[in-house]
Amino acid sequence: MKPETQLFFHVLGAIVLFGATAAVATLALAGRGRDEPRPIARATLAILLVLAVPAWIATLAFGIWTESAGDWPDGLTWVDFGFRVTDVGLLVVLVSAALAYRWIRRPTGRWAPSAIGFLNTLYLAALAVAWWVMTTKLPA
Amino acid sequence: MDTYRWLLALHVSGAFLLIGGGVLAAAFSVAAARSDGPREIALFLGLVRVAVPAVVLGSLLTLALGLWLVAERDYSMTDPWIALSLVVFVAGLLAGQVGGVRDRETRVLAQKLAAERVDIANDELRARMRDPLARALSWGSGAAMVAVLGLMIWKPGA
Repeated sequence: MKPETQLFFHVLGAIVLFGATAAVATLALAGRGRDEPRPIARATLAILLVLAVPAWIATLAFGIWTESAGDWPDGLTWVDFGFRVTDVGLLVVLVSAALAYRWIRRPTGRWAPSAIGFLNTLYLAALAVAWWVMTTKLPA
Repeated sequence: MDTYRWLLALHVSGAFLLIGGGVLAAAFSVAAARSDGPREIALFLGLVRVAVPAVVLGSLLTLALGLWLVAERDYSMTDPWIALSLVVFVAGLLAGQVGGVRDRETRVLAQKLAAERVDIANDELRARMRDPLARALSWGSGAAMVAVLGLMIWKPGA
């Protein structure tokens, strides 16, 4: 497989993860305090499982593949930073999925959607910093 | 950081906003399509509007800085991968625009039915939700942007 193919799927995975995280944050913030938030809670869980998890796997797997084919030296800050942000992403997705499940079961509570919204907004910012650092390759 | 890296980083940021916004819009459109009641359909199609600023800003950043990068790196507008990218990019934007107008009409109908306290979507709303042309335009627009991403990375003929 050509190195460009791995890079393409790594970037596409990261973009889909960004879009899915934005969708989850939007749904959680829009669903707080609604009379009947169950459809929003279900959509939140579905996006996490159907979109965010595969996107996270693609980002990590093709990222590792791209790095191993790239013949870069160890300890590059921009590479390590990208992996740290991706690692944290798994935690964010899993915790958000657990919270979304709880939100479906107890739709009247406000703290679950608030926590999902807060977590995913924060992770959205982390992803933005990661794509900036990885594109500029700074600091090398 | 030199000019090239600034331009590239902003160009890539535009791509993240454009395609990421498209992913967000697609997720909410699918959620709307899987809903039965006009209230839920109106809610999810209403949330699609959140993606609009990201898609507009992303389109502008991607195009403007892409053209700047062509000049900065001594590429030519006649290079096959650049010319093809521009054609596919513009076609994708047009398809997204037309598909978006049709989705807006569907949202307005769903909001009207929800305001009338109709619980189940009527035939007109169901037909609009299944409209193959609107779906083809929206999904085609997304596929076009992913194709442009591929052209930018592979640079065929470069």
